Amino acid sequence: MHFDDKIPIYYQIKNHIYHEIITGTLQPGEKLPSVRQLAVDVTANVNTVQRALSEMIAAGIIESKRGRGNFVTMETTKITALKTQLVTTQLAHVYQQLHALNLSDEEILVSVQQYIEQRGQNK
Amino acid sequence: MTDSLEIQNVTYKRGMKTILHDANLTLAPGKIVGLLGENGAGKTTLMRLITGSAKGAGVITVSGESAEADRKRNVSFSEQLRGFAGSTKLTRIVDFYETVYGDFEADRFTELATFLQIDTSLKLAALSKGMKEKLVIALTLARRTNLYLLDEPFSGIDSMSRKKIINSIIQWKPENATMVISDHYVSEIAPILDEIVVVKDQTIYAHRQADEVRAEFHIGIEAYYESLYERGNDND
Repeated sequence: MHFDDKIPIYYQIKNHIYHEIITGTLQPGEKLPSVRQLAVDVTANVNTVQRALSEMIAAGIIESKRGRGNFVTMETTKITALKTQLVTTQLAHVYQQLHALNLSDEEILVSVQQYIEQRGQNK
Repeated sequence: MTDSLEIQNVTYKRGMKTILHDANLTLAPGKIVGLLGENGAGKTTLMRLITGSAKGAGVITVSGESAEADRKRNVSFSEQLRGFAGSTKLTRIVDFYETVYGDFEADRFTELATFLQIDTSLKLAALSKGMKEKLVIALTLARRTNLYLLDEPFSGIDSMSRKKIINSIIQWKPENATMVISDHYVSEIAPILDEIVVVKDQTIYAHRQADEVRAEFHIGIEAYYESLYERGNDND
């Protein structure tokens, strides 16, 4: 995994795993590799991976089962909520940037629509 | 749990020249720590003080042991094998390590040697720089101890060897052991570091959690390290 050294590594690992859960690369109920194996897979420190896991466990997305390992939650509502949360974060970022360019809400809607149409044509 | 390393008010002089003064540092168990500093800043000296091969004023404790012989037992240092003739077969060097160090595990060495693709039937002089560094890493990690000191393990070696060495560190460092890796080029190892220690102005100038630096300053470890120098030098 390629890290951006300006952003805390544990945070990037967390987002990487969240991404895999949302896109279904990691399925609900699926067992995660061991902490050390994950560390090797992403080339990071075991403690850093553990910190990322702890936050995902606290958020209820990962479940830690004593002696058996870590599993993706079976509660799909939690995964849906996570997806909504990540989409909102991305939209908030774009919205802020466009607002900073003095675009009104209507203008933002129109430009997003135009952009999607253009992309569709260029495919 | 006992700290892996404690350095208290250590000062070291060579002739009239002060190399390190009033150095203080405490490292908890289970960490990977980057020891950063310019060439000649005193990184190697600090490692030699920890192993006991250099003697200065102050107290150094490794896993609770301060006597030199007890300390040596708890430290695995990346020796550059200068004591061996070029004609020495690698198997002989491995035998030597097994004889000298009670905590050297031959099985561990074999696993590491396989992973790092070291051909132990070769003679020392036949090894490329990268291959020799891999051998040093395998010998150093094959000891099962509490503190590992790797002195510039990545200088002058290709990126593939570097990646292999980084992976072997992640896989083979015992969970509660602490590892100190010195380097003057930090970018490549930054993601695997828990903490960084900067040697500057003849002392331990900074000791920070790597992810805290990123969260607090929004800059990379290399940029943070460089910023310590831009603040101006107070060398004299």
